[in-house]
Amino acid sequence: MSDAGLDVLYELRKRRKRHRLGDIEWFDAAYRVYLVALFGGGTVLWISSSIKDETVGADTLANVATNGPALIGIVTALAFMAALRSGAQGGPLALEAADVTYVMLSPVDRVRALLRPVSQRARSAAALAAVSGAIIGQLVGRRMPGTPVAWAASGAAFGITTALLWAGTALVAHAIRLPLWIATTVGLAGVVWQCAALAWHIPGPANLAGSLAMWGWRQHPIDLLAPLVAVIVLIAGVALLQRTSLDALARRSSLVAQLRFAVTMQDLRTVILLRRQLNQEHTRGRPWLRVPRWVTHPIPRRGVASVARFPTSRLVRMTAFAAMAGVFQAMVIRGTTPALIGTAFMLFLLGLEVMEPLSQEVDQPDRTDSLPIERGELLVRHLVAPAVALLPFAVIAGISAVATLGTTRAITPTAILALPTVLAGAAGGVVSIVRDAPDPTKTGAQAFVPPEMAGVTSALRIGLPIFVSALAAATILLVRQAERAGSSATGAAIRGAIGAVLLAAAVGYWVRRRDEWKRKFRQFMSDGQSYTKQQRSTL
Amino acid sequence: MTELGTRQLTKTYGDRPALEPLTLNVESGAKVALVGHNGSGKTTLMKMAAGLLDPTDGSVKIGRHAAGSQEARRLLSWLSDTPTFYEDLSLWEHLEFVARLHGVAEWESRAETLLERVGLEQRRDDIPTTFSRGLRQKAAISLAFVRPFQLLLVDEPFVGLDEPGKQALLMLFEEASQRGATLVIATHELSFVKQVSRLLALRDGGLIYDGSPADTDVHNLVLPG
Repeated sequence: MSDAGLDVLYELRKRRKRHRLGDIEWFDAAYRVYLVALFGGGTVLWISSSIKDETVGADTLANVATNGPALIGIVTALAFMAALRSGAQGGPLALEAADVTYVMLSPVDRVRALLRPVSQRARSAAALAAVSGAIIGQLVGRRMPGTPVAWAASGAAFGITTALLWAGTALVAHAIRLPLWIATTVGLAGVVWQCAALAWHIPGPANLAGSLAMWGWRQHPIDLLAPLVAVIVLIAGVALLQRTSLDALARRSSLVAQLRFAVTMQDLRTVILLRRQLNQEHTRGRPWLRVPRWVTHPIPRRGVASVARFPTSRLVRMTAFAAMAGVFQAMVIRGTTPALIGTAFMLFLLGLEVMEPLSQEVDQPDRTDSLPIERGELLVRHLVAPAVALLPFAVIAGISAVATLGTTRAITPTAILALPTVLAGAAGGVVSIVRDAPDPTKTGAQAFVPPEMAGVTSALRIGLPIFVSALAAATILLVRQAERAGSSATGAAIRGAIGAVLLAAAVGYWVRRRDEWKRKFRQFMSDGQSYTKQQRSTL
Repeated sequence: MTELGTRQLTKTYGDRPALEPLTLNVESGAKVALVGHNGSGKTTLMKMAAGLLDPTDGSVKIGRHAAGSQEARRLLSWLSDTPTFYEDLSLWEHLEFVARLHGVAEWESRAETLLERVGLEQRRDDIPTTFSRGLRQKAAISLAFVRPFQLLLVDEPFVGLDEPGKQALLMLFEEASQRGATLVIATHELSFVKQVSRLLALRDGGLIYDGSPADTDVHNLVLPG
């Protein structure tokens, strides 16, 4: 029966593949491939050509030889931790809901029925990692002994090894129903161990995998143990497929499908919500604190109630974002200007996390429109509670920056600049949330942007919020400039803080007036179209 | 012979108990209604029996086999309250797939009869994901009955069904029961309860009644605690 059932399953899969292939617009697909190849290949070539071709010095070579395997191994250790957590949360497979209902509940051999989804998952992860590894490898190969081709091959081998280890580990963690806290603890221990290997030159758990990435330069046969272990773990994962939890598959199936769609549509809010659901991150049943009586206005009260129910995992994540933002700002002060991008991303993500009351309001447009208060005013009032909640995270960011800089001279400028920077940086998140909200001023299928501009609009949609956060982070440059010029860092910090506060206020004003401005703009464009039509008809 | 047996079956979500330790035997050929208020644990119990949900503790057996095992899957047909379908297969292709997965060789005539009885014969070449709620439920019913089973687990089967649909479903239940199949039906349709031989009532995850529907006031059983 099993074989007959499997034959039916394979036949169905073939038939569905034919359906899908029949539905593909081949010209469109070829055009997309062409665009990706053109821009992707062009970018890689541009970066490659911008790297000098001179081989690095002997000191650097010695440094790479000593620290390279442990440093690269951190990537594998992080992948291992991610895999453990993915498996503990029901990953890495995501079947269609109908496959769970009809195939997994039929008397076919589940292991054999799941082989193809497993192979697809492992293949896609390996392909992505191989391409990434090869690109980075050939870049490294331009400065290191050995040919770029050899480095690309070793980078790809490292990528494939890490990807297979990820897939196998996730399958095993899923099959043994590893609790999430154990997965996180074990994964974290692996990462810490690997970091310790880098710092103190002790053997690290992923040193062999890291060393494999350096085969473009020198080859240690013992490194082959790393891919061997990855394959063994994958085989163990496959052998345990019988223990796959249908509960997890059913839960993940619809979420992953929605997540893919949301990513395609660049719908960041939905991506965040679905990620939380996939991670089974629920708000707390019992709030951390009661809403104080003196908060009387219903909107801030609702905001405080929301923030007071943030789960521990989200608070930990927000703490990490704030701490990382502090580290990046310290790097900027020390001269690494591109670290500003890191700060911008951290503050943007912090903003997305903390603005939950605003996001919830935006998620319920029908209810919002039924309230006897103008939408802009309502949304602005929703900013109050999250802004207050950002205070401790500003302190964390400040402590982290001062600790990284390691000087007490940094305390005063940091104390002045931390809160305004965090607030203005989080305003990038506000821009993203409010821009993605359904537009009540839109009355029909009006589009004043031509389709050719859709790509630019899309890039702006993603880029603008990050740009706002980057502007906030850039206030640190005033302090750095003052330090270099020997003038008062405190004065520069005050100027920067004023700038950041003005930026946050500008975003608040935009939220308040946005609907009105859009309405006026639409009216203006509509009047213009009517006038043009009238002129044409009289000619 | 016991068709569905649970032993200290327990399910908790975090700290919240969804089903308290439940030991239960449903004999072969029985027609059982499972009632209870929203959140009483009906769907949790059914899903654990279908092998879709892992118990926190205890065990479920279908016949002599552990729930979710290959043999148990052969014996059990599960009709969910939220039907799922492939987005690229017609209803007819769904029927073919499910029937053949379960080794039904002469499936066409059975599928045609089922579609006729639930009133979907004109929609057989349509994609069921495009159907209305009621039609989706009818499509799911035809898929649950196109394959052989010894035990049918049904969760809220009447939701969204029109009167002819309800009658067709009741007839299908009756026929399955007459040929010796065991039926466990979770429902809020209290008028249906009169037609079963055994009534189980859950309240807040605990079994509060197990007996004949004639010996109790069902309306009291479905009130939340």
